[in-house]
Amino acid sequence: MRRPDSADGARIAILAGVFAVAFAGLTLRAGQVALSGADEFRAVAGEAAPALGRRGDIVDRNGEILASTLSTYSLFADPKLVWNAEETAAALRAALPDLDVAETARKLASNKRFVWIRRGLGPRQRQAVFDMGLPGLDFREEPRRIYPRGRLAAHALGFTTIDGVGAAGAEKAYDAELSAGDGRPLALSIDLRVQYAVDEELRAGLEEFNAKAAVALVTDVDTGEVLALVSLPDFDPNLPAESSPDGRLNRALASVYELGSIFKTFTLAMAIDTGAADPARILPTDQPVIAGDVVIAEHAPAPRRLSVGEVFVRSSNPGAAYLALEAGGAVQRDYLQRFGLMERAPSPFAESARPILPQTWDEIAVATVAYGHGVAVSPLAFAGAFGAVVNGGEYVRPTLRPVGPRGALADRVIESGTSHVMNGLLRAVVLEGTGGRADVPGLAVGGKTGTAEKAVAGGYAPDRVAASFAAVFPADAPRYAVFVVLDEPQGADDAPGRRGAGHTAAPVAGRVIARIAPLLGVARRDETTAAAFGARGG
Amino acid sequence: MAMIQGMTTYDPSGGPHSLRGRVFSMSFAGWTLVLLVSLLAGVGVAMLYSVSGGWEPYASRHATRFGFSLLVMLVLGFVPMRVWSSLAYPSYFVALALLVLVELKGATAMGATRWIDIGPVRIQPSEIMKLALVLALARYYHGLSIERVSGFFGILPPLFLVGAPAALIVKQPDLGTAVLVAATGATLIFLSGIQWRWILRGAIAGLAGVVVLFFFGLQDYQRARILTFLNPDTDQLGAGYHILQSKIAIGSGGVWGKGFNEGTQTQLNFLPEKHTDFIFTVIGEEFGFVGSVGVLGLVCAILLVGIYIALSSKAHFGRLAALGVCATFAFYVVINTAMVMGLVPVVGVPLPLVSYGGTAMMAVMAGFGLLLNVHIHREDELPSAGRLL
Repeated sequence: MRRPDSADGARIAILAGVFAVAFAGLTLRAGQVALSGADEFRAVAGEAAPALGRRGDIVDRNGEILASTLSTYSLFADPKLVWNAEETAAALRAALPDLDVAETARKLASNKRFVWIRRGLGPRQRQAVFDMGLPGLDFREEPRRIYPRGRLAAHALGFTTIDGVGAAGAEKAYDAELSAGDGRPLALSIDLRVQYAVDEELRAGLEEFNAKAAVALVTDVDTGEVLALVSLPDFDPNLPAESSPDGRLNRALASVYELGSIFKTFTLAMAIDTGAADPARILPTDQPVIAGDVVIAEHAPAPRRLSVGEVFVRSSNPGAAYLALEAGGAVQRDYLQRFGLMERAPSPFAESARPILPQTWDEIAVATVAYGHGVAVSPLAFAGAFGAVVNGGEYVRPTLRPVGPRGALADRVIESGTSHVMNGLLRAVVLEGTGGRADVPGLAVGGKTGTAEKAVAGGYAPDRVAASFAAVFPADAPRYAVFVVLDEPQGADDAPGRRGAGHTAAPVAGRVIARIAPLLGVARRDETTAAAFGARGG
Repeated sequence: MAMIQGMTTYDPSGGPHSLRGRVFSMSFAGWTLVLLVSLLAGVGVAMLYSVSGGWEPYASRHATRFGFSLLVMLVLGFVPMRVWSSLAYPSYFVALALLVLVELKGATAMGATRWIDIGPVRIQPSEIMKLALVLALARYYHGLSIERVSGFFGILPPLFLVGAPAALIVKQPDLGTAVLVAATGATLIFLSGIQWRWILRGAIAGLAGVVVLFFFGLQDYQRARILTFLNPDTDQLGAGYHILQSKIAIGSGGVWGKGFNEGTQTQLNFLPEKHTDFIFTVIGEEFGFVGSVGVLGLVCAILLVGIYIALSSKAHFGRLAALGVCATFAFYVVINTAMVMGLVPVVGVPLPLVSYGGTAMMAVMAGFGLLLNVHIHREDELPSAGRLL
């Protein structure tokens, strides 16, 4: 040995002593954590489940359930406690016929302490599984939003995320109220019966005229309440994840359309309201209207002078442009502003879209906006404006909530006399003009067609149109407005190419009115009374 | 003390240098070591089985790796001790060169550059360095007379041997391994019989170094970990999450634990990294205080056998090498368990033989191979420095 062993031995002893102390310390610490940590663990576990109230139901204006929250039961297993994985899986199949037995048996045979078997069981399925008394299975209660009417009113309702947070439609717009947890249902202005009828007729119209998409709105013109809102294609709010973006798009609020001649309604209302034109005044429509460097001429082979009323009934572009240019851009903008067409429809719905307006409000813009080009608005915004034309002249904001007995806030836009004249003109369009196919005997339907070629890169596409019809009934005592837009109709199979609103949107609106009038308590009356009203207005 | 001194009285019936003689010379202590190491690895397999709810993906591979590593340990145990001593310096400098290489062009994983790819193999030079440093220091002091150990020129080389790799590893950055390397080096210098005045100066210098390191030498995340450790409640969802979840899991185990495969905290994935650095948590939850103490007891038993082997070695190299291996192993376990139980900051140090991980397993088992080698060749006298290379 080259060195005394004692030196080594002492140092090794010191090292061993240090480790002995370290391990003793670790042992003490392990004991401390093991004994005190249990409380800490319980405290953390206790905080895990915050109390959540049940999300409120959504009902229609008559209290019919549109959306509700059900307790569903999710089946899970503790494989440790399962006696026989194969037998258990096979037994479960009796209650859950589409269960993958092999896969379930594999899960049940695993060494984990927790496996999901099936999420979202109904009460009956739960009971069936419960009654089997299989060991190792248990349920976790999970709230699930259900829409018992399926696709009906899907866009008005919207949907929630898997965590029960409103993601679209009323679910999103009124999320705070719905999640208040006070158990009170939220009523919408939708009338389920009307909604169903409109849905059925619009679906049929979309199919008949081979349209790409379609929108229909039924409103109470005095209160602004939306009684029906249909946007096609649609989706099943019960399964939002399986829907397409196209199906989820709420075209009544989120889309804007160039509506074409329907816009003449506002041009005429403005011209009459300012006193510039009474329906009998003759306009120089035999001459083309020149706005800037654009010439607006009549399509008809032999243009002739038309009265203001005829401009509307025959839907003359030069006539409307003439009236708008006469009033001037400032007056036009003022009226459009008060009709609520210059901004997004005032709705708590996040979907409500801004209009597309002319960049510069020059002569060309004034002339084209007069007959509904160069301006695009959402159907909801249009419905609000149209209501103001026909209801006596007051703008009430369109809403999806029921309006209380105090009535809606109203802002006067046009004189009641102007509104009265407009109703007569609208009735005349149906009696003598382009809206004939919307007529329903005894209901005095008034309305206006609009066929707008859709803007595409480099101009307008003649074979791609938005065909729309705005209707009011009864025109002599307006209560309800119906607005139908068919997006890119190709015409009926037996009349291909007849895309115009008079042949597509107008008949759909007529069928809708025929279906909903009895539901809304609007009685049919003597034909001659209604006819006389229209003739007088025209 | 008494027990340790008692163990120095071993049976001196050393065998001849034939393989058969070596096998016979692997007496009680050697077989005990193999048994204890296998037991600890078995704990690892069991806990990994529990963590993943089956043999895949961890438990089976852990078992396979251990089987292979055990073979390596036995082979390394039976080779002549001369092989180890002659490889001491070369392996050290190769490891050091690899550390420099990592610094220059290493693979980066999770923000740290610790690996280099050599063909299909990915090696972690810091793992090699742990063993190489033990060998190099043991080799250095083997050839040094006790008078020169405390001389100025006797102190400089070991300071370099420890300081260079420690600095390179800190820079990777891998604070845990750097601390391990430095601590192992310091332990061997201490065991060399260096005078106490140097130990005192070293301690003061080390303390100053730690202060300087904390403020200037650390990455922000390393500093954050230490600060978080000092008050984990300030960051319950961030850096403090591990410590709190780990304490909750161990705490929920209580005295007897929840039973094998019954740990809800670990089974339900509340705890990240539970199959690697935080495996001790699973033991604490499923086997409780008794299980934790059992594992610590197993480690202590291995250490006692290791110290017994060291004391029974005639060669100074063997004695220091054996103690170096023991110290490294002990530091691993102490730092890992103290970290999991919230006694020291979270640093990336696995629980040897229990945590999942191939390189660490191989490095630890190579170390035990050296320990076994010292035991088998306890009667061998190694020539001193001049004649060795």
